[in-house]
Parts: sequence; structure tokens; C-alpha cells
Amino acid sequence: MTDTGAQATPGSAEEDVVDLLLAQHARIEQLFLLVIGGTGDIRRDAFDDLVKLLAAHETAEEEIVHPLARKLPGGGGDAMVDERLAEERQAKETLRTLVAGGVDADGFETGIILLRDAVLTHARHEERYEFPRLRQHVPADRLRGLAAAVRAAEATAPTRPHPGAQSAKGNLAAGPALAVIDRIRDAVRRPSNGKG
Amino acid sequence: MFNPLDHKGIPLEDQIRNWRELNVEPIDPEAVDPYTRCRIITMNGIEVEAINFQHQFARNCPDQEVRRQLAYVRYVESQQQRVVNWLLPGVASVLETTLGYEQVAVDLTAWVARHEPDPYLKQAYEFGVLEDFDHLYRYANLYEMVERRKAEKIVDGLTEVMPGRPTVQEHRHPFDEVRTPYDRGSADPRSKLNALTILSAEQQVMFYYMNVGPQYMEPIARQLYQEISLIEQEHVTHYESLVDPGETWWERLVTHEYNECWLYYSFLQQESDLRIKAVWELHLQMELAHLQQAADLLRRHDGREPEEIVGSTGLPEPLTFEPNKEYLRHLLATQIDLTKLGEGYVREAHERFEWMQQQLHDGQQPPSEQVIDLHRDRFGDEYRIETEGPHPVESLRVRDGGSHD
Repeated sequence: MTDTGAQATPGSAEEDVVDLLLAQHARIEQLFLLVIGGTGDIRRDAFDDLVKLLAAHETAEEEIVHPLARKLPGGGGDAMVDERLAEERQAKETLRTLVAGGVDADGFETGIILLRDAVLTHARHEERYEFPRLRQHVPADRLRGLAAAVRAAEATAPTRPHPGAQSAKGNLAAGPALAVIDRIRDAVRRPSNGKG
Repeated sequence: MFNPLDHKGIPLEDQIRNWRELNVEPIDPEAVDPYTRCRIITMNGIEVEAINFQHQFARNCPDQEVRRQLAYVRYVESQQQRVVNWLLPGVASVLETTLGYEQVAVDLTAWVARHEPDPYLKQAYEFGVLEDFDHLYRYANLYEMVERRKAEKIVDGLTEVMPGRPTVQEHRHPFDEVRTPYDRGSADPRSKLNALTILSAEQQVMFYYMNVGPQYMEPIARQLYQEISLIEQEHVTHYESLVDPGETWWERLVTHEYNECWLYYSFLQQESDLRIKAVWELHLQMELAHLQQAADLLRRHDGREPEEIVGSTGLPEPLTFEPNKEYLRHLLATQIDLTKLGEGYVREAHERFEWMQQQLHDGQQPPSEQVIDLHRDRFGDEYRIETEGPHPVESLRVRDGGSHD
């Protein structure tokens, strides 16, 4: 059997943090399709899921991936990360506007396309320029450990907002999404303190 | 039917484009009709062949004036290729474009096979399409492993994804790739266009894989591109050998330009994206002038009329991208175990086939098999899209562990 790098079964101990983030990118693409192509409850639920996943995903990247990428040998890591962070800030602003107005607001159709383009382009930048360098320079067991940390944090959070009780707006402002962010922060800071 | 020989098109001196015109907006990969992507990939292959053919012509042409004329049209064709290929978006990954290439290879070749009037040539397309069909399946499994996405995102249920003639069986002795050419004097003009179209498409697949393969870091990705690019090179041998080598350079030039007219005209009829449709319309108008120039060169240097080469009744039925699921299932059920011997087709694993298999595989598992095993190891199954029921060949149905799509 040939060694084929660090891919692994989803959710298994073999999976590293890049696998996990790739799977989230794929899920984010699917949710955008559902939001843009769906109507009524399908759209509302998909949008709630999307908001929650984006919050967790971007937090994981900001806390784990980008700091690692800044320290990569060869230089240029800081500039690359700063560009990704600028993209994330821009996407967050668009997201905030969409969440505030809700799926029925005027301008949602246009806004969600803008957000999709920003988020998916951002994701491809990471996949092309950042993830391969992580796999090249960061020890495999470290990448696997970080995946476990992110998964653990996400598992303890509510999996989806209560239907009807919480809008996406409330969700992002003070609900489960924030809880996920906090848990991820806590979880990843602990293992990464050790080996730096 | 539309006869390109009756039209002058855009004057050649008006065909050079500026930077603004070259800087085209790419398609939106999240919203594109998969067959729009297929048309773009096809026309890129056609334009790449146009450029390469004219370079070869120029290297074999002692007439300086003709070389200047070829150089001018070649520059225009080159700009056409840049415009067409630059319609593909930067956010698409190499593997996503690869899945698009294989969808082209499957549905383009299947359409041509269904419409080819000559039985021997038809057999050549039917034989080849089952191999590209298998490549789509192998790359779809690689795609999910490397990018965690499903090929459904690219092919959108229009083309099924399941085993074809297993890639491991496609490595034959190069002697057996060489086919019998059609006869340029008696061949139906449709046969000439079909051969040139498929040859161009397969050649582009070969160029693409042999160049992008090493960009991957994942060993299995590098190896799979290496293996399939070798098959694509054999496919180029297979298809190019169908073309009569006795055709003169002038004659070949006419066929090339006429073929470009046919394909741009075809895609103009069916394009769902109005912005892309405008590109096909513009390029058709440009090609009409290229064809006029080629026809003049033929008259002057070969003493023949273009109708002697491509007929006088106008373009054949428009080539169409459409699902070919039932046709492909029929071919899978009846031709999966064919291989080639000499210039024909046989079912037994003959001595030369076995010799080649031994030289290449040498007791090792090829990447095209490893990729499926690795997928099963990591995801517990293999990736398929079987929209029309189980695989028509029982031995190629899903083993324990199932598939998901």
C-alpha cells in the first residue's frame, strides 16, 4: 500500500484538521445551494445551518489554521494570512447584514450570492495556497490532534437551532453559534499550548 | 442546412482582439449548466488542435507567403483559444476541471458513436468511450478523497459514474492501437469531422493530464494522472490513425476550418448561457473567414474545390451534448470485455496484450485500482452515481460495503 498523505475516514482518528476543514467547505457549498435554490422552511433551515457552520468553521480557521500558517518556513505566511483574514472580515459583514434582515428581507437574494462568492473564493484560496503548505510542514500527528480538538468542541454544542424558537439572528448574536465558537477556542488553545 | 462555404464571415483584418476583449468573465461554477462547461472544454480542445496543426503545417511549408497567411490566422485562432479556455473559472480545482474533461469524453464520444455512418469507425468510438467512462469513475473517487466533494457537483446526474472497461485492462501493446484509416476519396464528410473532433478532444485531455498531474502533492493523485495520461496518449494514437494519411496539407486545413464552423454552429444552437452563446456566434463568424482563406489556398495549390473535401450540402446535423445513459449501458453490457488485436477487435487476452500487461503491471496494482481501494478503506465504500439502476455488468456491481452518491 502506498502512503497517500493525510486523508482519512471522516470522523475517524486518522482524519486531520485539513480533512475536516475540506469536508466543511464541501458542506458549506451544499448549504449555499440549498439556501439559493430553496424556498420557505428549506431555505430558512439551510440558512440557519449555514450561519452556524460558518461561525464554527471560521473560528476554527482563525484559531488554528492561520496561526500555524503564519509560522510556516519560507516566509510569506503573514501576508497570506492577512489576505485570508481580510476576506473573512468582509464575508462576516455581509453575513451580519443577511442575518439581521432574515431570509425574507429585500436584497437577500442578491446578498446571499455575494456572500457565496466571497466565502467560496476564500475557501479555494485556502485550499490552494494554505492547506498544502500545512500538510507539508506541520507534523501529521499534530494536524490529527487539532482535528480531534475541533470535533470535540463542535460535538458538545447544540447541533441545530430550535425550530421557530430562535431565528438565525438570535443564533448568531447570542445562541448556539457563540457557544460553538467558545468551545472551539477553549479546546484548541489547550492542545496547541503544549507543543506550540 | 447552413453551408459555411456560402458565407464570408468577419474580414480577417478585423479579427485581432484587444486586452479588454480578451479579458472574458468566467462562468460561475456554482450555477453553470454542466454541458456549458463541456462545450467550453470541447472548443478549447478544438482550438488547441487548430494551433498545433497550423504550426506543423508551417514547418512543412516552403512557401513564405503561405507561411505568413498561416501565421496570421494562427494568431487569431490562438486568441480564440485564450478566450474560450479563460471562460473556465479560477476557483475551480484541477480535479473539477478533470471531471469536466471526462464528462466531455463520455458524452461527446457517445454522441459521435451514435451518429457515425461508417460501421468500422463507429466501432472505434464505441470502444473508446467505455474507457473514458471508467476514467470518470476513478477520478470521482480521487476527488472525494482529496477534496472531500462529490462528483455529482460537476456532472449533475447527466452522466452516470460507475466502472467502464477497467483502466487496468486498457494498457495494450501500442501496435494494437493503430487502426485502419478511412479513405479520403470515399469517406462521408461526417466521418472526417467526427474523427477530427474526437482526436482533438482526446489530445487535449492528454496534454492536460500530462502537465497538471505533477502539481498534486498526494501520491495517489500524481500516480493516477500519470496512468490515465498514458491511456489518453494511446487514445490519440487510436483516433488519429483513423484519419487518411494521404490527405494533403491544404485538404487538412479545409477540414479543420470546416470542423470548427460545424462545432461553433452546433453549440450556438443549444447554448443555454446567452453570454457564452455570443462567444460561439462571434467565433463562428471568424471561422467562416478562415474557411474562405483555406478554400482559396486549396484551389490555388491543390487545384480542387472545397466541396470535394467536405461536400456541398452544408453542415451535418448539429453535434449535441445530451445524456447518453441508455446507450452507454447497452455498450457496457455488450462490449466491456473487448480488446484490440491488429486493426480489429477481439475478446481474448492474446499474447501481445498479455506481454504488455506483464511489462507494465509487473505484479503491481496500478493506481486506477489503488484509488478505489483507498476510497473504500477511508470511506467504507466507493463513489458511484447509478441513476438508472445497478451496473449492467454483474461482476462490476458494488461489492460489500455499498456505494453512496
